[in-house]
Order: sequence, then structure tokens, then C-alpha cells
Amino acid sequence: MKIRRCKLEPGVPAVAMADIAFNLVLFFIILAKTQDDSAEVEAQKKLKWEAAHVAAVQDLPKTLITVTVTQENKVFLNAREIPRKELTEKDLSEEIAKLLGDKPAGKRTVQLKIHKDAPADIFEKVIEAVSQAGGEVVHVLAEDKN
Amino acid sequence: MKLLRRKKAAYEPPAVLLTDLAFNLVIFFVVCASSDPEANRRAESGRRQDIPSSSKDQAKMAEEAKNIEVHLERDTTHVEINGLRTPLERFTEKLTPLLAGKTRPEERMVVVRSNKDVPYQHWIRMTGMIEKAGGVVALQVEEEKEVIVK
Repeated sequence: MKIRRCKLEPGVPAVAMADIAFNLVLFFIILAKTQDDSAEVEAQKKLKWEAAHVAAVQDLPKTLITVTVTQENKVFLNAREIPRKELTEKDLSEEIAKLLGDKPAGKRTVQLKIHKDAPADIFEKVIEAVSQAGGEVVHVLAEDKN
Repeated sequence: MKLLRRKKAAYEPPAVLLTDLAFNLVIFFVVCASSDPEANRRAESGRRQDIPSSSKDQAKMAEEAKNIEVHLERDTTHVEINGLRTPLERFTEKLTPLLAGKTRPEERMVVVRSNKDVPYQHWIRMTGMIEKAGGVVALQVEEEKEVIVK
């Protein structure tokens, strides 16, 4: 009797393909997220400003929108400089409102990092703009230990 | 002769797939846990402040309610309360009786007017004192108008 050998046809396992695709998707999602956020956080760290000191401070919620007024009285919205010409309550509030979107109350906090010697001429415009955009003002301050 | 029937092999999924599955699950949960975009940001300390928007209606309402007005100058030793020059150390003492008996937030509104050169350090300290005394801080920002000189 002649026994025939069973021929195995080479093939790519299709089950593994889905796994590979899923892993690739996850990989790119993680990569995109970390790149975006870290770039902004790094840029914000480079801005030079010194917090004003007050008697008591509290822990603040983490926010996605930060307005910084630096030592040189330059205004940055999420590390992007707002030129002096565009620094009107209306323009700034429109930009902040865009970023806030239709987030519910409690999630509309805007962090203000204002240099301790910044003049009222500038910081009042910023505060007013946040207020007009419907944002909740949160001042980043340092505790006075004396 | 009795032939024994071969036992039917129960279907078992290949064990290699299980490790893949476990690995994918682990990655999925790791991504879910770190998907909060705010997680990278450092928690800060400071102060929350409720500042009503200075719309025309509110300005009118504030005017009608005859709110307290605090005027800040670059000189950080004195402050004006309703036009009365007051030393900083007596600020809370003078402000508290003015707010006494006022229950509605519109009545408790304290309009803060600052000179252009008032530093933030002074402003934040003063607004903190107003809030501590029970007042609601409202800003009075002067509008910039462009005037063309011929």
C-alpha cells in the first residue's frame, strides 16, 4: 500500500495579524499623546516667572489651559505667545473660549501663572478675558513661610 | 477482536494565543490608565477666585447696589476704600463693617480699581483680604480707546 504524505501548505496565521494590527494602533496612539503633551509641558517650563507669595495656599486641580505672564510681561496661552497687539480682552477671551469648548462647570478652570511684579495693566486684561470666556480663575501662588 | 474507539480529542485553543491575549489586555489597561492628558502635569498650589464678568448689566447692577470701591495704587502701604485713604494694616478692620448685614452676592461685591502700575503681588494680597472679609471681588477695567489725532 502506498501511503501518501500529507503536504502542508505554508501560510501566514491570520489570527496573529489582528493582534499585530491592534498593537500597532496602540503604539501610535501612545506615541502621539506623549509627544503632544510633553512638548507643551516642556515649553511651559522654560517660561520665566516667579509666583506671588500669599499667607495660605490650597492644592489646585490640574488644568489643560494655562495663561502665563512672564518677567518680561509677555503673555503666553498654553506656551504660545500672544503678541501685545492681540492682547485685548475680546481676542484673548475668544481664544480661551475656543479651548474651553462646551466643558461643564468645574472642568472650566484656567490656571494663571502671573509673575509677582507684573503690572495691573496686563494681568487685569488676562483675568477679565478668562472671566468673559466663562473660565474659572485659578491663581498659581507660593506660600509665604515667614 | 473488539476495536476500541479512538477517543475524540477535545478542542483546545493553541496555548500561544493566550499569551498574545494576555499581552494585549495588559497594554490596553496601561493605555487606559495613562490616557488622562492632565496626568503629566504637576499639581500646583494657589488660590481659586470667582470673578464675575464685568458685563454692562453687572456694572449697572453694581452701580445700583452702591458697592464698595477699593482703589489700589503702586504705594502698597495705603489703599482707598470708597475714596478714603486707609493704611494697609487697618484695611480689614474698615472693610468688614461695610460688608456687615449684606447677604446677597451683588451687595457683597467689592469693585477693585487698580492703577496701571500696581504689581500683581499687591493685588493678589488685597483681593485675598477682601474675600476673607466676605466680599466678592469685581474688576473695573478701563477700556482702551483709540483716538486719532488729526
